[in-house]
Amino acid sequence: MLWDIFCRVIDNYGDLGVCWRLSADLASRGHSVRLWVDDATSLAWMAPDATPNAEGRVQFNTTTGKVVVRAWHDALHGLDLPSKVWVEAFGCELPEHFVKWAHQSQTNSHSTPCPVWLNLEYLSAEAYVEKSHKLPSPVMSGLLKGRTKWFFYPGFNENTGGLIREAWALEKLDAGTTPGFDPSSNKPYPQKSTLFCYEPAALAEAMQLASLNSAGHQWQVAHGRGALAFENALRTLPSRADQTSHQFFPPLSQTQFDQLLKSSDLNFVRGEDSLVRALWAGKAFIWQIYPQDDGAHGPKLNAFLDWLQAPDSLRRFHLSWNGLSLEPLPEVDLPAWQACAMAAQARLMQQMDLVSQLLQFVEEKR
Amino acid sequence: MKVAQEIRVGNVIMQGKDPMIVLRTEYSRGGRGAATVRMKLKALLSNMGTESVFKADDKMDQVILDQKECTYSYFADPMYVFMDTEFNQYEVESENMGDALHYLEDGMSVEVVFYDGKAISVELPTSVEREITWTEPAVKGDTSGKVLKPAKIATGFEVPVPLFVNQGDKIEIDTRTGEYRKRV
Repeated sequence: MLWDIFCRVIDNYGDLGVCWRLSADLASRGHSVRLWVDDATSLAWMAPDATPNAEGRVQFNTTTGKVVVRAWHDALHGLDLPSKVWVEAFGCELPEHFVKWAHQSQTNSHSTPCPVWLNLEYLSAEAYVEKSHKLPSPVMSGLLKGRTKWFFYPGFNENTGGLIREAWALEKLDAGTTPGFDPSSNKPYPQKSTLFCYEPAALAEAMQLASLNSAGHQWQVAHGRGALAFENALRTLPSRADQTSHQFFPPLSQTQFDQLLKSSDLNFVRGEDSLVRALWAGKAFIWQIYPQDDGAHGPKLNAFLDWLQAPDSLRRFHLSWNGLSLEPLPEVDLPAWQACAMAAQARLMQQMDLVSQLLQFVEEKR
Repeated sequence: MKVAQEIRVGNVIMQGKDPMIVLRTEYSRGGRGAATVRMKLKALLSNMGTESVFKADDKMDQVILDQKECTYSYFADPMYVFMDTEFNQYEVESENMGDALHYLEDGMSVEVVFYDGKAISVELPTSVEREITWTEPAVKGDTSGKVLKPAKIATGFEVPVPLFVNQGDKIEIDTRTGEYRKRV
């Protein structure tokens, strides 16, 4: 089945990261995807398996499906096939040329059924997600007035659309990594933390806490804003004679990033895509939620921590890390935090993944 | 045309050829400043109920209907009775009252909305002042307003309020979102 997926990169890497994983997962299940992106430059490192095709468009092939990346303004023409499903990621509007093309195609061929039109929403553990998941959204203006869009929400329980969980990616993850931290051991051991964050106010404090580990601590710092924040925090700390070390990583492919998380004892992740990957890594993690001017991130974080059943120390660490509390960071309690992460992962594994649910929903609405 | 976040309980919007009365709106903040509005709607011609969700900036046609300023008089199950300044009484089905019931109190001033000469709903002012009838004791020193706790007003409606708000305090509530605005 042919899909059109639309992605506008607002900032950072999450928009494209989620859309690429969704597209690749659909392709692995035999579907063809036209992925419309306004800025696909990050795909060069995020998805190195995707390469330019004969027409110069970036393409990713699986044994039965494919993803072709289309530039946002790259209009369709008469010979292009109409798709069966449209997915607007995170409420991005369809490109104007596409709306005109869709309107024209429909006018020319009244017998062709309308595609199933979905709005894939942001991930949240808040209660409204369950209430709004799979609700219709009648289109009341513009050329496509009269059609119906459907809201599809990813989420953490069975009343939502679930999370992207590609079987092939998780198999690779399980095969390619070491077991890491042994929660049954009480001995101090050198810890590894992966850091992928914005600019948390408590970063220097966390680095200081980590340096207290007598067996040593290694920071694996992912590239981007977090790396700059780490460098800045490093300068504010007194020079150390402890066992702390750090390594800066270049931009990694999604597969490499997933493996990095799996190889760590504690993952600091940010935004939406890397939170999901931290859950699949099954290691203790701290989430930096995307900060919003209106403070909407506070209730979102608390709703997630409630779902996570976060122990008190993990909750307090999250609140301070996200600037929602002025309390000092509590001590890292890896055994408790990892047990919590594993339990959360086990709960999620009981649910149907997002792409399977999406396919089921599309079948219902076609 | 209006955008979804401007639509209020009691408004009527056109969905295709169907005038739909808005019985409930729920505003939710998504990621990165995006927001959605979930609406409970009822078709005025068929009386069929439905639920829909819109992006907060989705455009829609609001049907401008006759309105009259009235005060709430009494409840005669299943009708809510309102009276205008000339003592005419108008009855609105409880089902059509929607979220207005969260704030309704004796003598409250509302706009009664008419369709084909029949009172079909009420529109509230965009904000109301109500007394907190129950909440946990206030926390001294926290004036940031970022952390919220549950509180109730006389109708039993629950409003999240900042930690510094006390039982007995009067607060201003945004009737479109059901959110606390400020302490009065």
